[in-house]
Amino acid sequence: MSNLKYRVLVIVVLVAASVWSLFPRKVVERVKRGDRFVFDTVTRVPLKKGLDLQGGMHLALEIDESKGTVDNKSEALDRAIKVVRTRIDEFGVSEPVVQKSGDSQIIVELPGIDDPQRAMAVVQKSAFLEFQITDETQALEKVLPRFDAIVREAGLAGPSAAAPGDTGKTEKGLNNLFTPGKDSTAKAGSDSAKKDTLALTTGGPFSKLIQQGGQTPGEYYVKESDIPTVQRYLDLPGIQAAMPPGKVIRWGSDTQSLGAAQYRPLYMLDSRPIITGEYLIGAKPNQVPIEGTVVEFTLNNEGGRRFRAETAKHIRDFMAIVLDQRVMGRPPVIQSAIGTHGQITMGQGRSLQEAQDLALVLRAGALPVPLKVADYRTIGASLGADSIRHGVRALAIAVGLVVLIMIVYYRFSGVLAVVALLLYVIYTLAMLAYFNAVLTLPGLAGFVLSVGIAVDANVLIFERIREELARGKTVRTSIDEGFRHALPAIVDTSVTTILTAAVLYQYGTGPVQGFAVTLIAGIIASLFTAIFVVRTFYLLWLSRSRGAQTLSI
Amino acid sequence: MLRILHDTRFDFIKWWRWAAGLTAGFILLGLASFAFRGGVNYSIEFTGGTLMQLQFTKATDAGRIRSTLDRAGITGAEIQQFGSDSGFTVRAQNRQDVAQQASGAESVAKRVEAALTREFGANAFRVVRTEGVGPRVGAELRRNAAIAMLLASLVTLVYLAVRFEWRFGLAAVLSTAHDVLVTFAFIKLLHIEVSLTIIAAILTLLGYSGNDTIIIFDRVRENLKKDRKSPLYDVLNRSINETLPRSVLTHATVLAATLALLFFAGEVLRPFAVVMTFGIFVATFSSIYVASPLLLWIEHKWPRTASDKAGKAAVRASRTEMPPGERTPRSREPERAGSR
Repeated sequence: MSNLKYRVLVIVVLVAASVWSLFPRKVVERVKRGDRFVFDTVTRVPLKKGLDLQGGMHLALEIDESKGTVDNKSEALDRAIKVVRTRIDEFGVSEPVVQKSGDSQIIVELPGIDDPQRAMAVVQKSAFLEFQITDETQALEKVLPRFDAIVREAGLAGPSAAAPGDTGKTEKGLNNLFTPGKDSTAKAGSDSAKKDTLALTTGGPFSKLIQQGGQTPGEYYVKESDIPTVQRYLDLPGIQAAMPPGKVIRWGSDTQSLGAAQYRPLYMLDSRPIITGEYLIGAKPNQVPIEGTVVEFTLNNEGGRRFRAETAKHIRDFMAIVLDQRVMGRPPVIQSAIGTHGQITMGQGRSLQEAQDLALVLRAGALPVPLKVADYRTIGASLGADSIRHGVRALAIAVGLVVLIMIVYYRFSGVLAVVALLLYVIYTLAMLAYFNAVLTLPGLAGFVLSVGIAVDANVLIFERIREELARGKTVRTSIDEGFRHALPAIVDTSVTTILTAAVLYQYGTGPVQGFAVTLIAGIIASLFTAIFVVRTFYLLWLSRSRGAQTLSI
Repeated sequence: MLRILHDTRFDFIKWWRWAAGLTAGFILLGLASFAFRGGVNYSIEFTGGTLMQLQFTKATDAGRIRSTLDRAGITGAEIQQFGSDSGFTVRAQNRQDVAQQASGAESVAKRVEAALTREFGANAFRVVRTEGVGPRVGAELRRNAAIAMLLASLVTLVYLAVRFEWRFGLAAVLSTAHDVLVTFAFIKLLHIEVSLTIIAAILTLLGYSGNDTIIIFDRVRENLKKDRKSPLYDVLNRSINETLPRSVLTHATVLAATLALLFFAGEVLRPFAVVMTFGIFVATFSSIYVASPLLLWIEHKWPRTASDKAGKAAVRASRTEMPPGERTPRSREPERAGSR
């Protein structure tokens, strides 16, 4: 009898603890108040929803080694992770996750992001800052014929060749802009030595889209509408291979209108940066009388030393400020050796806001290594809400059907099993909350499935009790024997399922790990409810109905 | 008392040839599909690539999306209707697209969105879900999935070998392997995309199918202890018949769960639910028609030695509950039981 009391006590205490652990509570978390992030108490259910249920974005970033190998990846990532975290904080989500995964990846999770493109831009616009000298050897002009040949060979020249007249016209306008009073279109491209006419048109599919810029060496212009085509050509493996050694091509950050059309600058740069953002320690926007809006930056001592040495070598050269492979503004000319303090001139008419943004990116964004997105998932908040609604509906229907089957088939005993099933649901959810497991969509599926599997142990026991009763044993003995005989099979099945789920957890990714966790939690809870809870119910019933002769099963 | 299939005496094992033919045929069909229709339809998680789920404001057709993307240079993207006639998924996973993602997994999605915006207008659709996987990550996941499958099978094998006698363990593992094969054939024949969730379904089935076999074998083990005279063939049949009500009931409840998932849990989980539902039928089938004949065959091939028996007999003696003569323990009971 006292044994029975303990059993009931254990069940009641566990239910109480489970309900308590699932109860909405006050937790301290970062929330957005206006524009700032503060730690505040909010009330919520402690069960965390995964990104696929609440909407949001998952990113895995890794070091982009296309520009050269990184010696100590792990250490570089440790430094990069701080930068990414700062940037995420500036961006503003309530509970962001930024963590290192293995030695080569940074995982970023941004719950509730409704604009993934912007988020990706902020994270990845990882502001890898480089100062690179523009090309002065006319490297692009030299390889243009080769590029044309490669594009023709790749058979991609078709669509862009459709509007030659148009191209001709804008060219004319452009050339006139740069070299006023000179009629250049007539002899365009026929004389490559005549650099000041600037037209590169040789009729090739690639070269006819590129026009030389003007004062700045290594600067070219591409019509806005041609950008995708040019980009596609540049992405061709053949072109990549034919790139002059030690040179890279980079787009400018913003368009310029020349005449009626919009143009974007394209730069040929020395691929070796004279300095990178690694040495940057500060940046602030400013407005100065002549140059307009500027961003002033400060390098640390070592950076200053290097910068001074490098700029001394390149006086009168043009220095492109390259942020994440985009040339920011027009490259300024290096007037004299620059030390720890420098400035990026953004030009007249640019707002202070823009300068502030750039300064912010520079400050928070001096990434020690360039990062690229290795994989990502974004789920719209509405889809997440849909998934929850569907999942909960499926769960309710599954539970309903199982309850129906159990009660119709096993009557009174079925009712006991159903009560145990309710406890099972509570225990499982509590366990998930306790282990800080994240509920994902596959996890929800696993939970629905586990409801179906959870009663398996009950079925085994009930069938066994029926057999024992059929052999003419008393109710009490039949119940004892039923539990005793069913036990080995129940343990075996549970252990095999837990083992496979554990393997799945070890090798799965986010959502699938959620599935494995719910499955494991479910099995443990079902072991307990089927063996311990239902047994206790029977014992209670037996002690109440002293010496019952029949059992509704 | 409501009873289903109570006290049956079916000779299940008699049909093993038919069963073997059926399942071998199914697996062969799957293999043939491999040979003639190309390899497995892997999801972008494994191949690398881009998946986008789009919700248009108005019904539109896949053809228009396809031609738009073709013009934008994203060729070979697979476009499927998803849910309603204004929902679509776009899958770009051919080699060229994937290679592009080596420099950033998001590049293709951006191009798709730009191309569609140009064609349909900025407010004509919403991107509700995007996944982009670079080629390296895909390869790593593929490796991990293979390791997971092998490891799970191995772990189950070791457990069963320890828990049961090795002949039982071997039969259970072979039958489980059979289930995985048949499920793969099913996935191939229905051209279901193999994603991580599907791998999860297969691994769950691996555990579940093992369960079913364990429950029958557990009964076989018990019956063998009680009854040393009957041939294994009879004991197997009797064990299957005795556990039949349990099998029916359990499968009913698990099916209730998978069918609820299939019909009510939405589009994303549907492939998972389809595979699980099929797998549960296979698991039931194999625990009766594959595991048991296999055990019979294994016992025939490697009969128990005398020392084996002696050891077993010693265990039996201490735990015997039934009078030795009684061959069918539940004889003549149903009428009385039914009246309760």
